[in-house]
Order: sequence, then C-alpha cells, then structure tokens
Amino acid sequence: MDRIVLNWLDRAVQQYKDKTAYMDTERSLTFEEADRISRIVGAFLQGQGAVPGSPVVVMGARSVYTPACFLGVVRAGCFYAPADAEMPAGRLRQILEVIDAPYMIVSRMFLEKAQELGFAGKMFVLEEILEQGDPESYDPGPAERMTDNAPLYVIFTSGSTGKPKGVITSHYSLMCYIDAVQSVLGLDETDVLGNQAPLDYIAAVRDIYVPLYTGASSVIIPKNEFAMPDRLFRTINEKGVTTLCWSTAGLEIAARLGAFACEVPQKLRRVIFSGAVISNKALRTWQDHLPETRFINQYGPTEATASCTWYEVKEKAEEDTRLPIGRPYPHYKIILLDEQGKEPAPGQPGEICVGGPVLALGYYKDPERSAASFVQNPLNTAYRDLIYRTGDLGKYREDGLLEFLGRMDRQIKHLGHRIELDEIEIAALQVKDVEECCALYDAEKSLLYLFYSGQATAKEIALQFRAQMPAFMVPRKIKKLDVLPKLPNGKTDMRSLREMFS
Amino acid sequence: MEELMAILEEIRPDVDFETEKFLVKDGILDSFDIISLVGALNEEYDIEIQPVDLVPENFNSAEAILALVTRLQDE
Repeated sequence: MDRIVLNWLDRAVQQYKDKTAYMDTERSLTFEEADRISRIVGAFLQGQGAVPGSPVVVMGARSVYTPACFLGVVRAGCFYAPADAEMPAGRLRQILEVIDAPYMIVSRMFLEKAQELGFAGKMFVLEEILEQGDPESYDPGPAERMTDNAPLYVIFTSGSTGKPKGVITSHYSLMCYIDAVQSVLGLDETDVLGNQAPLDYIAAVRDIYVPLYTGASSVIIPKNEFAMPDRLFRTINEKGVTTLCWSTAGLEIAARLGAFACEVPQKLRRVIFSGAVISNKALRTWQDHLPETRFINQYGPTEATASCTWYEVKEKAEEDTRLPIGRPYPHYKIILLDEQGKEPAPGQPGEICVGGPVLALGYYKDPERSAASFVQNPLNTAYRDLIYRTGDLGKYREDGLLEFLGRMDRQIKHLGHRIELDEIEIAALQVKDVEECCALYDAEKSLLYLFYSGQATAKEIALQFRAQMPAFMVPRKIKKLDVLPKLPNGKTDMRSLREMFS
Repeated sequence: MEELMAILEEIRPDVDFETEKFLVKDGILDSFDIISLVGALNEEYDIEIQPVDLVPENFNSAEAILALVTRLQDE
C-alpha cells in the first residue's frame, strides 16, 4: 500500500526512468532527473537542519524545477507551502506570517521580490542549491517515518477577505484525489498533460502528481501564451498534449481570443475543467472544434482536495444549458444538509457537505476556523465522522445527478426579498451574447448590480430579465466591461467590482 | 501615438509604456489585458484585430501596437 507520494515517485523512476516527467518550453526533466533534483533539495534542507514535519515556503517560477523542488521538500520529511511571486506583496506578507516557516526556497528571478517581504527565516536560491547540492548525502530516514496523514502541502486560498486560510492537505488525501481523477481520465505513459494553472495553486496538483502515478508527462505552458492564442495551440500541438485539466477561465480565454481560428489541437482527447460555472458559449466553441474530445465538469473546494464531483458532458452546450456537477468521485462522500442540519426532501436544496479521507487537516494555525468548517456529521450520532461544510448550495436532479445552486453567503435581502446573487448570474448567462457576469449588491443604496462582458447590450439584458423575473430580481445597474477583473486563481475579483459602485 | 498611450494607460496605469519593449514576452500584459486592449483598439480605431494578429511581435511595445493599428487601418 502506498503511504506517501514518494512511493509513487520511486516507482515511476523504476518503471519510466528516462521518460519525460515535466517539460517547459526551455527544458525537460526525466523521472530520474526529477528524482535526482528532489534528492539534492532534500539533502540540502537536511544539511541546514530542517526539522521533519515543518513547513518550507517555495516561491518557484513556471519551470520544471518547481515541481521537482516540491518533491525535494517532501524528501526532507517536510511539507511545502507554495507562494505565487505575482501576488501583491501585502498578501504574500500575510501568508508568510501565518505559515511562519524556518526556510524559503526561491527561484533566482524572484529573489529581489522575496527579499522585500520581511521573511524572518533563511532564504535560499533554488538554482544555487541545484549547482552545489549533492544527492548522495540524502538521508531517507525522515521520509520513511512519515505516515500517510502527514501534511504534503499548505495551499492558501486566495480571494477571501481578512487573514489568509492555509489549507493543509495530507499525502493520503492527495493520493485519493489523483486516484479518483485517474479512474475517470484513464491516462497512461503515452499521455501528455498541458498545465495552465499556476504551480502554487490547487488546480496544478493534477499536472504535478498524475505523471508520478501514471507515467504521463506534463508540459508547463508559459503564462504569456494564454494572451497569444496562436502560440497556445501551437505549443499544445508541438508537445503532443492529450489532456487538459484547466480552470474554466482558461478555457474561456482561449475561446474568446479566437485560438481555434489559428490552429486546432490535434491530439487532445480529454478536457477537464473546474473553478466556476463555465460559459456555455465558450464550452460550445470547444465542443464544436473538438468533436472527439471528452469534456468533464468538476466541482469541489480546496478543503476537500481539489474536486469532489464530476460530470461527463455528453450534450452540446446551448444558451440555456445548466451543467450538473454530477456524482461524487471514488473516495468522496457527499451529503446535503438543510438549515436544521437534516437531509432535505428529494429535489430540495441543501448545503453541499463533503466527507471521506480527502478532507483537509484543517487551516494552518487556525483552530477556530478549522473547527467551524470541519464538523461532526449531524446525521451520525454513533461515531466520529467529520464533514466539510462547503457553504455551497446544491440539489439532486431527478436523474440523481447533483446540481450546483451557488454560494450560500451570496444570499442577500433586497426590498424584503431573499435573492441568490448566483441565480441572477445564471439568468444573465442565459441571455444571448453575455459571456461572463457577476451580480453584486450595494446594501447601502439598496442597488442590485450586474457586471458583464460580451456583445449583448444592457438593454437586451434588462428586457430579458423583465420578461422572466420578478421586478425585485432585475439588476438596476447593468454595467458592461471588456473583461471582468480576475484574481490570480482565475475567479472574478469581486472586491475590484465593488469599487466600481457609483 | 498620444491617443494610443491614453488607451494603454487606462488599461494598465501601472506600466511605463514608453520604455517597456517586451510587454508580452516579459509577461507584463496578461490575457485579460489583451482582451480589454483588443476591444478598446477595435472600437477606437474602427478596425478588427483577428486572432492571427495576436502574436507577441504585435504587442510587445507601444510602437508595435501602433504599427499593427496603422496596418489594419490601411487594409
């Protein structure tokens, strides 16, 4: 039985030694080379006196060395906390304060930025470690003594206000998720994944760990190619990419920038997406150009290790399509709870709650918020049975598939009515030529806002709302933007939008 | 050029478009900036920038963007 991700790495090195594990546009690493780097980094940290079970911050570039460095931290018996150098300095400082790590490894290109963050521990440059390091002095003992519920990484959720929450994921949880997604994707050593997500972000765990589990390779696509669609699909074809595990924002950008007009991916067999409700127009563009490709919608919070449900899209996306989020992956348990903590009647909405070995170990150094989010399953009074309350609403359709109904905390009280802002967004997305949108409420002025992008006019949206919705649900301020502001994880930056209230 | 600078500065007030020569190559402009920029240029200059025009050479500097706009206006 596999205990930690290093078991996968060791097996991959034996089985696929000289095969490519990770590549970017400048270089590639075989499984053996990635393993060697992990041993160099592991030995270096041990030489510095790193205590097993302690965190190491990694601020890496979009390069093959970054996933190898993550594995190096694990080799030392430690866990990694990836940091995105492109995040605002204020946010990075908050993250460093919470994690309070003794060591930080940075890519040379980010050294200057990292030095300005007031990091109290020791800072090392990854390239220098690799030049001087010696894999022979590596001591495998600490990693051998790790149990499967040892932390693997701490990933900070972005976007929320206040103190950042560091979600702690164990080796076993991560291995359960990778096993689950592999049971749906069915990859083998001939497959190539095209990485889009920033490597410090939860969505990148597939691109980092699926190769170790299956022998497939991952290509780290340069960020600027997403701005230049001509390059994007050319790279995908040159590298023979067969599988994309992308954020919905990534798929939407490629469709909007007209990437398919330049080149069509030739070998793409599977596209799996998550992060937000995908625009039907963008999904249809992908489906029309790739009729043989499987498209899979995923749903899930970082707190339950990446994604907990999946749905294979068989239908062609139309203007009014509402994709379900589907059924739970293996290793995941999903229950719905109503406001009284009971199971809602069939077809009625409830809070989506997740259980199983995929639950995070909580929020780093934050017992209060951990206790509030990870709670005893109220349906079980017989034994300890933790669930994570997602704060999302869902309901079962008649065919037994789960449907996502939006965030619970996006429920507002407007003119005496309870309104789900997500419901307004879903309605707006069904207006022709609305590409993306965000509904927000200015409680001070009792004004319902809708920000959107696309060719539709504000008048068309208002007319359609008036034809279909009660008057109190019609946004009074409908503002068109070229593009909605985004957070680093690709989700809409609601705080920036709030600043546009007039 | 002044008009173009005004458009660029509205989208990214934090970037010095006079000196930056590798806006795309260095990752200064991201995909969301490009979407906004293409929309603004199409509207302001009455042109239609096509996906094939979205290559780094056309967007790496203010001069390159101006050259693209001029070329598309002449077509």
